[in-house]
Amino acid sequence: MLKLWRTFKEGKENFIRNGWLTFATVSILSLSLFIVSLSFLLGMTSQLILQNMREKVSVSVSFNPDVTEERILAIQKELTTYKKEIASVEYVSRDAALEQFLAESGNDPTIAQAIKEIGENPLFASLVIRAVKPDDYPLIVSEIQKSTFQNDISRINYEKNKKIFERLDRINKMTGKTGLALGAIFIFVAILITFNTIRITIYSHRQEFEVMRLVGASNIYVRMPFIFEGVLYGLVAALVTVVLLYGIAYYIAPFTNGAMAQGNFMNFYLNSFWYLFGGLILLGITLGVVSSTIAIRRYLKS
Amino acid sequence: MSDVQPIIRFENVAKIFPGNVMVLDNINIVFRPGEFVSLVGASGAGKSTLLKLIYAEEVPTQGEVYFNERPVGKINRKHLPFFRRDIGTVFQDYKLLPQRTVFENVAYALEVDGRSTTEINEEVPEILEIVGLGDKTHKFPKQLSGGEQQRVSLARALIHRPKVIIADEPTGNLDPVSADEIIQLLLEINSFGTTVLLATHNKGIVDKIGRRVVLISKGQIIHDQNKGKYILS
Repeated sequence: MLKLWRTFKEGKENFIRNGWLTFATVSILSLSLFIVSLSFLLGMTSQLILQNMREKVSVSVSFNPDVTEERILAIQKELTTYKKEIASVEYVSRDAALEQFLAESGNDPTIAQAIKEIGENPLFASLVIRAVKPDDYPLIVSEIQKSTFQNDISRINYEKNKKIFERLDRINKMTGKTGLALGAIFIFVAILITFNTIRITIYSHRQEFEVMRLVGASNIYVRMPFIFEGVLYGLVAALVTVVLLYGIAYYIAPFTNGAMAQGNFMNFYLNSFWYLFGGLILLGITLGVVSSTIAIRRYLKS
Repeated sequence: MSDVQPIIRFENVAKIFPGNVMVLDNINIVFRPGEFVSLVGASGAGKSTLLKLIYAEEVPTQGEVYFNERPVGKINRKHLPFFRRDIGTVFQDYKLLPQRTVFENVAYALEVDGRSTTEINEEVPEILEIVGLGDKTHKFPKQLSGGEQQRVSLARALIHRPKVIIADEPTGNLDPVSADEIIQLLLEINSFGTTVLLATHNKGIVDKIGRRVVLISKGQIIHDQNKGKYILS
């Protein structure tokens, strides 16, 4: 126990006394962690934004004006039985559609006046369909077009949305793939750089290992301070990274307002802060300790 | 004297380095407790290797080295650190830890042994007083002269109260006055009963000590005299 405490103290001492070397190692490790976590966070964010957009997408089926409300409600009932594909079917009556239209046009009195002069509500009743999976929209639409009520339908505003769907899908798949590939590359580079930096740190101590062993220090006693040093590198680097990420979140947040279910990037960051911080500490310490352990091994062999 | 059990005994020891370089050839020698032995010979004669075999930094190619009649070559690697605490070593280049103060350098040898802090705080100043560094305990090695650094190294070697002190060219980097001080200290340590093995090629020092002299040349023992002088072969 006393020895463990001493080796810890020694590791801490090395950490402080090494000054520049410590600064360099922590900077490199922080940078590595920062890049890795940033690519991870940005990947997550773009996924979340896209997911959010997809959830907002829907298909609306407008019915001819001569179709009765009962008939439409019956169709709605029928559609809701396809629970696997269809998440929700919302009925928008002609009156509701008009109200919505007026509200969207800013309650402009001239528009209201114009509609009054027509003497009749020009809008159609519709069913707004949301799919469980966005991939299912083409299927749903084609089924509706083939259905028994196809003659009641005035039009389906799918064609317009179709392009958006396809583009979203493409972006989604691409960001997923490139994010993964970039993340993997960054992690690999980060591990290499960290390992090399720590190796240099230990290399600068190489003459001391001989001395330590000569005065009767066991290998584990020589090794422990460097492992603790590695732990400290990891801890401090994780802290630095979290602060850096906060800065980034602060600047990115305004651009993501409302685009995510979590509100914006800052909220997302703060919501997942403890997981992120924990993960970073774990990753930092693992990198520090593993690098130290491997780097020191060659000096303790004989 | 010959009936005393030897502390170190070499039995038909040969050491061959890679490339078939014969460094030590058929060495048979005995060191007894309390002796002060000067190992002399030109650089590369095999003095350092002979000493390294004692503290198990090298393993003999043939034969066996015994420490207190225990074969050194058969010590488990795990037990090596404990074994080394019985042997104090001093080198030409001092081998101090540059990032530690004088006090910490000496204390380190006790820390690795798991000694308590109170014990360390008692014993370290005491030994530093003995080697004459009582007023420099918180200096770093680079703030000291060569002679002072060697005395730190000596203090560290002594702190375990080892049975044997191995000094490999301890005066090699020192001016004559500092060198003399180190030798005087070694003699003083020896007078308390510690065996001292001193490797050197400084003729003046050996002649002045006037104790047992072993001359090594090309890996072989050429002369072994009690109360000897440095004989140039």
